[in-house]
Parts: sequence; C-alpha cells; structure tokens
Amino acid sequence: MGSAAVLALAGGVLFAVWDQAPRDASAILALSLPDTSGRQQSLSQWRGKVLVVNFWATWCAPCREEMPEFVRAQREFGPRGLQFVGIAVDEPDKVAQFAKELDLNYPALIGGYGAVELSKTLGNQLSALPFTIVINRTGAVARTQLGPFKPDKLRSTIDSLL
Amino acid sequence: MRVEYRGFLLHALGVAAFALMAAAAAQVNPLAPEKAFRFSARALDPHTVEARFSIADGYYLYRDKLHFAVEPAASGLAMPSLPTGKIKEDQFFGRVETYRGNLIVNLQLQATTPGQKVVVQAESQGCADLGICYPPNTQRVTVALPAAGSAPTPLDEAPKKQWFR
Repeated sequence: MGSAAVLALAGGVLFAVWDQAPRDASAILALSLPDTSGRQQSLSQWRGKVLVVNFWATWCAPCREEMPEFVRAQREFGPRGLQFVGIAVDEPDKVAQFAKELDLNYPALIGGYGAVELSKTLGNQLSALPFTIVINRTGAVARTQLGPFKPDKLRSTIDSLL
Repeated sequence: MRVEYRGFLLHALGVAAFALMAAAAAQVNPLAPEKAFRFSARALDPHTVEARFSIADGYYLYRDKLHFAVEPAASGLAMPSLPTGKIKEDQFFGRVETYRGNLIVNLQLQATTPGQKVVVQAESQGCADLGICYPPNTQRVTVALPAAGSAPTPLDEAPKKQWFR
C-alpha cells in the first residue's frame, strides 16, 4: 500500500470538502485508510454510530496521555453505539507497538499528513494534534476539540448523542 | 467598617482578575508554528552560518526531529552538533531531549565560496504546554555569505524582543 495512494485519496477528499458546509462530516466519513496490518478500513462502515475520530501520533505526548480515557469510554459506551477511531499521523510499526502497550480497543488507522489536512476545514487550521471530532448518528459534526479532551466533557458529549 | 469594605473590594477585584485569567486561559489559541518556533540565520564567515530558533514561552522543540539542510547541496554542510537539550523520560520513547527558549546551531559549510548565497532549511517539530503538537514544519532563510575577512552579517530575520532574555 503506497503512501502515494493515501495522499491521492486524501487530496481528492480534501478537494471534495471544499464545497461543503463546514460542520458536515461526510469528507471524514468518506476516508478509507489502512490499519496497522495494512487492511483498508473505510470510515463509512461506522455510519449510524456515534463516531469519535481522533487524530494523534505516538510522538505527540499529549495525544498518548488522553488515550487511556478513550479506551475506557469505548469500553463503557461501545455497547450503546459509540465507536472511536484513531487516525495516526505516524509510522505503522510505532502505532502498532503503542496500540499493543495500551490494549487499544478501537481501530488505529494510519493517516499521514494528508488526512490531518482534512481537519483544517473543521477548525484545526494548524493541523495540530490531538484533534478530535465527534460525529453524531446522522453524520454531522457535533463537536470538535483541539488539544486534550476533558474527560467529563467527552463523556457528557457522548452521552448526549447516544 | 471602612477597612472591611476596602478588604471586600480587594477581594472582589482579586476574584474578578482570576475569573478573567481563567477565561483567557480557556481560549488560548496556539501560535502558528513559524511564530512558536521562529527561525533565522546569519553568516558568521564564508564557511559558517549561525542558525537560530527563538522558541516562544510554553513551547518546545524535539532535538531528534531537528534537521538542517543547505542549498545548493554542494555547499558541503557538515553534520551539525546540536546542544544537549532538556532530558525528559518519555514512557514510550524513553530518553527524549527538548529545547526551550533560544537555540543556536552553527552550520559548517565546507565547500562554499565567499560572497555566495545559500538557502538554509530547517525542519523542526515541537509541541506546546497547552497540550498540542505540531506536524513537522520547514522554514527557509536565504543567507548571503560574506566576502573573505568581512564582519558577520546582520540576522536575516528581524529578531523579536524575546531573543535576549
């Protein structure tokens, strides 16, 4: 799986998002990215769930620090229809290693910088990490968070959408 | 009575100031990477360029993500020696070195000719204490190397006041 293909895909999606309302998550939902085992995963497979998309990287300490909370939330709210998806701007082996250490219970996809560029239209002008997008069951962006998501805010946001 | 009243006023002012600060803290907008990690360079002599990062308060750069390049590639940039950073024990990466404040790196150019122009390129990557990290960022500065024996040129990017703290 070449990174060129991912870039081309992200570029195409980036172009598509240009024409759309800023709070529409369809550009994110149209993403298809490889997981750590190289299998292509399309985000649209979780349409209809409350989807939390988290852009992160292993080299981003504040990203790693908040992920145990995401693991807890996935365990707790998963049965009610919550799905976390991590998009790592990182190398697959590092992501796989960290996912193992953390016992990550949700998919870790490999995005590259092309994918994080997508978040610019949702308020992340600097393409900084972590950036988290909460998408409701109808595919609209309910909330975005640049920097660490406060656990109580994360929980109340999820709870209100389930 | 009067003293009590003044005390109350001071207390109220204190509470108001704290509330304002809290509101400001909640709305902190991270700086653009070029502002958080301001890069500049100047020639010290025909074969030495001084590269500088002026890192804003509350921001830091990773030592092992810092890369310099010089164009034309034939300038003969020697592997620069980076100063030791502040050492942090990272749970995942182990020993990690970071820079805060001012960072100065001398770049030795072994194959330049006096009076020549070079483009100094610095790739850096860092984070902010407010809990975000930036993707790698590349900044470029054009530096005119002096003719043999002349004094160092002024910095190629206007220095900010925070440079010499």
